[in-house]
Amino acid sequence: MKYRNPRIPEGINVSDRHPLKELFVLAGGALLLLFLLSWLLGQFGGRLARLLPFEHEAALAPVSLLRNDAGPELQAYLEQLGSRLSEEMALPDGMQVHLQMSGDDTFNAFATLGGNILLYRGLLEQLPHENALVMLLAHEMAHVEHRDPIVQIGQGAAIQVTLGLLIGDPNLAVLGSAGLYTQLHYTREMEREADTEALVAVQRLYGHIGGARELFNVIHAQRDKSGREEMPAIFSSHPLDAQRLEAIGDLARERGWSETGETTPLPAAFGRWMSEAAARAAKAKEEDALKPGLPISPASPAGRLHPG
Amino acid sequence: MYNLILFLVLLSLGYAVGQFAERRHYRSILQREEKLNSLPAIASRYPPTEPHYQQALVTGSTVVSVDYFKRFLAALRNLFGGRVTSYESLLDRARRESLLRMKQQAAAMGAAMVFNVKYETASISKGRGNSIGSIEVLAYGTALIDPRG
Repeated sequence: MKYRNPRIPEGINVSDRHPLKELFVLAGGALLLLFLLSWLLGQFGGRLARLLPFEHEAALAPVSLLRNDAGPELQAYLEQLGSRLSEEMALPDGMQVHLQMSGDDTFNAFATLGGNILLYRGLLEQLPHENALVMLLAHEMAHVEHRDPIVQIGQGAAIQVTLGLLIGDPNLAVLGSAGLYTQLHYTREMEREADTEALVAVQRLYGHIGGARELFNVIHAQRDKSGREEMPAIFSSHPLDAQRLEAIGDLARERGWSETGETTPLPAAFGRWMSEAAARAAKAKEEDALKPGLPISPASPAGRLHPG
Repeated sequence: MYNLILFLVLLSLGYAVGQFAERRHYRSILQREEKLNSLPAIASRYPPTEPHYQQALVTGSTVVSVDYFKRFLAALRNLFGGRVTSYESLLDRARRESLLRMKQQAAAMGAAMVFNVKYETASISKGRGNSIGSIEVLAYGTALIDPRG
């Protein structure tokens, strides 16, 4: 008997498929799955968060981060505007808005958990009249009314916790992160709805929406000055300025609103209130510097909100 | 960010080096298989009785480990299922290399053929999770040596 080993053709035990092709197909599929999963989780988390009663949301508010530099007169003025708006906007019972003002020169304003709204001197100082200030307040209060802060945090938490568990490194301290509250990044849809709601309130209050356009002009000017990098908080890239102004025009035409009208000036003491707040902020900063390890103030570099 | 860069560097390094090594290895395997084809390796347990051969155990062993790229590809495969093609070529190389080493040993003994050839595979990364992805492939058989030379 003759023994021999026949030559076996290549490619039976080994696939000749290019490994890079395999990588792209698999990695693409995995990324797609991840995005889909994140999106679904986000939707789920947002829906769930919306069910949280407002009173409980207040318990999660980052109170320690919100230092109020407003003097009693300014506070009273802001609160009076706020309560007029609350009435016009018909905020639900028990939804209390807390207006606070930081003396830092950051060009920013934001709404966060528990109805807390923080306005920065950097932005307030540039507002030409009360109408623009009311538009700003109304926009932030609309975020509160729509429960946007808790929805955003709910979405983020659902995604972070589930993906963390999947990867095996659950960072369950999701609600403990300070940056989270001040860096809420609302979706384009949320911003648009807040704009619309705010415009309705401004129209009811003044009979025209002139203030709104002024506010956007101030923001636009600031953006031109500082470039895209230093995006102001509330009116960040979503939706873009131009689209936003266009949307205001459309809405005004559609509902027959006037875009111009008599504006109400800011109180004569407004400038003084601002410098007082600035002095208070500077003092607080000094004290902070003497006490290391205290919670970071919202005006720290992390205070640049909604970046991008 | 640094992790991502490290990952991408490892991935491309794994791919470049792994592919280069694999191609070179296959060339060498084909060449040596051709050379040792005259020495048959037979799986049968019943060797020829005539002439009266001397018998000796011959073994060939290879330990292989995966590169970073292949491991990543295989991990992705875990999600979707299907042929883990990135490991297939690795194991194919290990099997053929082991057989060649065994044949080389037999050839050095002056054997006419090797009978009762078998493979054993052992994972040497047991219990260490993903830290080492190495296995040993052992080929062994009975070399039949014609005492008449």
